[in-house]
Amino acid sequence: MANKLNMRDRYKLMTRLGWETSYQPMDKVFPYDSYEGIKIKDWDAWEDPFRMTMDAYWKYQGEKEKKLYAIMDAFSQSNGHLNISDARYVNALKLFLQGVSPLEYQAHRGFARQGRHFTGEGARVACQMQSLDELRHVQTQIHGMSHFNKYFDGFHDFAHWHDRVWYLSVPKSFFDDANTAGPFEFMVAIGFSFEYVLTNLLFVPFMSGAAYNGDMSTVSFGFSAQSDEARHMTLGLEAIRFMLEQHEDNVPIVQRWIDKWLWRGYKVLSLVSAMMDYMLPESPMSWKEAWEVYFEQNGGALFNDLARYGITVPDYAEICTKEKEHLSHQVWGILYNHTAAAAIHTWMPDDAKMNWLSEKYPDTFDKYYRPRFEYWRDQAENGNRYYSQTLPLVCQTCQIPMGFTEPDDPTQISYRVSEYNGDKYHFCSDPCKAIFDFEPEKYCHAWMPPQQIFQGNCGGEGLPAVLEHYKFNLGADNMDYVGSPDEANWNLWKGLNGSVSGDVKAS
Amino acid sequence: MTYEVTIEPTGEILEVEEGQNILDAALRSGVYLPHACGHGLCATCKVDVLDGEVDFGDASPFALMDMERDEGKCLACTATPMSDLVIEADIEFDEDARSIPVRDFVAEVVRIEEFSPRIRGIFLKTEGDTIDFQAGQYINLYVPGVERPRAFSIASTPDDSDPLELNVCLVPGGEATTWLHESLEVGAVLKFSGPYGRFYTRVSKPEPFLFLAGGSGLSSPKSMILELLGAGERRPITLVYGARDQQDLYYRELFEGLDERHENFRYVPVLSAEPDDSDWEGMRGFVHDAASEIFDGRFEGMKAYMCGPPPMIDACINTLMKGRLFERDMYMENFFDQSSAQDRVKSPLFKTI
Repeated sequence: MANKLNMRDRYKLMTRLGWETSYQPMDKVFPYDSYEGIKIKDWDAWEDPFRMTMDAYWKYQGEKEKKLYAIMDAFSQSNGHLNISDARYVNALKLFLQGVSPLEYQAHRGFARQGRHFTGEGARVACQMQSLDELRHVQTQIHGMSHFNKYFDGFHDFAHWHDRVWYLSVPKSFFDDANTAGPFEFMVAIGFSFEYVLTNLLFVPFMSGAAYNGDMSTVSFGFSAQSDEARHMTLGLEAIRFMLEQHEDNVPIVQRWIDKWLWRGYKVLSLVSAMMDYMLPESPMSWKEAWEVYFEQNGGALFNDLARYGITVPDYAEICTKEKEHLSHQVWGILYNHTAAAAIHTWMPDDAKMNWLSEKYPDTFDKYYRPRFEYWRDQAENGNRYYSQTLPLVCQTCQIPMGFTEPDDPTQISYRVSEYNGDKYHFCSDPCKAIFDFEPEKYCHAWMPPQQIFQGNCGGEGLPAVLEHYKFNLGADNMDYVGSPDEANWNLWKGLNGSVSGDVKAS
Repeated sequence: MTYEVTIEPTGEILEVEEGQNILDAALRSGVYLPHACGHGLCATCKVDVLDGEVDFGDASPFALMDMERDEGKCLACTATPMSDLVIEADIEFDEDARSIPVRDFVAEVVRIEEFSPRIRGIFLKTEGDTIDFQAGQYINLYVPGVERPRAFSIASTPDDSDPLELNVCLVPGGEATTWLHESLEVGAVLKFSGPYGRFYTRVSKPEPFLFLAGGSGLSSPKSMILELLGAGERRPITLVYGARDQQDLYYRELFEGLDERHENFRYVPVLSAEPDDSDWEGMRGFVHDAASEIFDGRFEGMKAYMCGPPPMIDACINTLMKGRLFERDMYMENFFDQSSAQDRVKSPLFKTI
C-alpha cells in the first residue's frame, strides 16, 4: 500500500521538474547566469522559500482575488471615496498608480525573465511564482484605483505618463536599470534590496496611510498583497544567502550590488518621503520615524547577520542618517515648484500640518523649511503662486532634479560631476556619481527628461507642447490643489465652503 | 490545562499550554517550523491538521482562507489547540534524530568529583529505569530552593549512563550552580526530567566531525565522541577544547589517551589565561583562533558541533562562516525554556544561530 507522501516530498516532486539537457550543454541552455561573475557550485543547495506548489498557488490566489474584488466592489457601490479624510489624500494614490504600479508590472517581467534564465530549477520556480504575484498586484491596483479615476483627475493615463513624465523617470529608470542587469544582480536589486530591505518603507506608508485616511479599498489590497510579500521577502533573502554561501568570490560582487541598489532604492523612496509627510492629511508616522524603524533598526539587525558573511553596511548609510531630517521637505519643495508639469497636485501645508512637521523634525523644519514654505504660502495666497517655467538639471543616475543639499550643509546644493568620453555628467550625490563611474556605459545613454525635451523629442518647444505630449488635461491634472477641479468637486460633494454648483469634473 | 501536539513527519510531541499558539510551543521545544511574520498575515507557517480541533485565532482571511479552514489547515503562529492534535508541517525528516519521550526521574547522588576549581562532576543513579537519550542531549535538573529547573548536558554515553554524569561549572552569582557546588553532598536525592534538545551527532551524513567546546561545554562532546569511537567511527574527529589554564583543563588524560589510540581522533586543548612562563607547550588563545590555525581557516565539508559560553559560540560561528561553513552544517547546544523563544531576538537570516 502506498503511503501518502509527506509535505516535503510532495513539494519536491511538484517543483523539481528540471533535467540535465543532452541535446545542448546546460551552459548554452542557460547562457546568462555566469557572465556576472557569480559562481555557483551546487544549485541543489538552493532552499525554496515559497514552499508552494503551482496547483495550490492558483487555487489560493483565485480565492484571494474573489475576496478582494468583493471588497473593492462594495467600496465602489457605497461611494467609498466620499469617506476619505480629504481629497488631498488622493494624490498619494495618484503617485502610487503613476509611479509604483508600473514597477509591479516591471517586476512581473523581470521575474519572468529570471524564471527562464537561472540554471537551478528551484530558483526558476520561485521567480515564476513571484512573477505571477507581481502581475496580480498591478492588476488589482489598477482595478482598485479605477474607482478613483471616475471622480478625480490624475489617474487616466498613468501608463503613458510612466514612460514620459519627468518625475516618473525616477522609478522607471530605477527598474530599467534592474531589468537590464544580469539575473543575479536583478535578484539583489529587486528581490533583496527592494523587496526585502526597503519594502516596508514603501508599503507601510501607503497602506497605513490609506487606513489613517479612510481608504478601505487600498487597505484591503494591502492585506491581499502582504500575504504574498512575505514570500517575496524570503526569496530575496534566500537569493542573497545562496550567492554568499556558494563561493567566496561572490562576496565582493554582492557587496557592490547591495551598495548600489540600496542607494538606488533609497532615492526612489524619496518620492515616498514627500508623500508621507505632505500628501497624507492624517499621517501615521513621519518619514524620519519610518526610516529609523524600518531601515536603521530592522535593517541593522539584518546587517548584523550579514556581517558573518563578510557583508558590511554601505558606507553611505551615514548620508541617509543625516538626510532623514531633510529629504521629504526638499522633495516636496521640488514637486511644489514643478507641479505645473506634474499629474499630481501639490500645496503648502496649513498651520496644523506645519506644527506636526515641527514636532517630527525639531532640528530642521523650523530652521530651514518653515520660513520658506510660509513665504511660498503667502505668495500663493496673494495670487503669486510660483510655477517654475524652466527645466531642472537632473541627476544622471537617479534622475531626480538636483535639489538635494550637502549632507553636512543644508544650505548648499550638492553637485557632483564626472567626465566620460568628453561629456560632462551631473550627479546629486557621491553614491550616484560612484554608481555611474563604475559602469558609465550603462548610464551615459540614459533617457533624461530635460535633455529629451530640449532635443525636441517630447512634443515640441515650450511647456504647453510638452504637456500635450504627456496627454495632461491642463488645469485639471496639474497645478496646485487649491483651485483645482478636484478641490471644487470635493467641496461640492461634502458641502464644504467654497463649493460651486454643478459638476466641474474636468475631463 | 495542556494539550499534546504531535508533529508529523518527525513524530515529535509538544506540550502546548491553554491559549499558547502552536508555533510558540514548537520553537520553545527546539522544533523549527517555517515561519515569518509571526502574526497571521503571511501564511509561511501554514500546517495541516490531521487530527483534532484548533482555534484558528487571528489569522488574516487572505493568509488562511475559508476553504483552507474547511480543509483542515491552520497557521501555526495564531492557532491554538482545542484538543490533542496531530499536525503535519513542512519539516525535514532527520534520520539521525530519535524521538524519545520526555520523562521524570528521581536519582541519588552517588559520587562527586572536583574536576577543576570551577567544574564539578556529579554522578546520579536513577531509581528504576535509566534515562534513554541521544549523546549530546540535556536534562532539566531541579535544584532544591531554586524555582525553575536548570539545563545540564549529559556527559555519559547512552550505553554507560548508570550513574549519569553531569559537569557543573560554577557560575558566579548563579543560584543553582552555587548550591550544587557548595551544598550538594553524596546521598542527596534530586529530581530531573529529560531528555531534551536537538544537539546530537549527524552520523548518517558523510562529513567529518569538528567539536568546538569551552568550559563545562565539554559534557556533550565527551558523550558524543566516546559514543562515536566506541561504535568504531573511522572518519576524522577533532576536538578543540578551550579552558583558562591547565588547572581548568579537565579530562585531559582521557582525551590524550583517545588521541593516542585512535588515528582518526585529534585532541587540541587551548588555554586562554595560562601564565606565560608555565610549562604548557600546547596552543594558547581562544578556541576559534585555534580551530582556524589547525584547519588553515577552511572548514568547508565538515560538520561543526559547538558548546560553551555564548561569546565563544559567537566567535566560532564567525570563524566557521569566514572559513565557508554555514548554518546547515553547524550544530549547537541550545537550552530551550519557556522564556527563550520570546526573549531571543529573531534573526532575519538564520534559523538557529
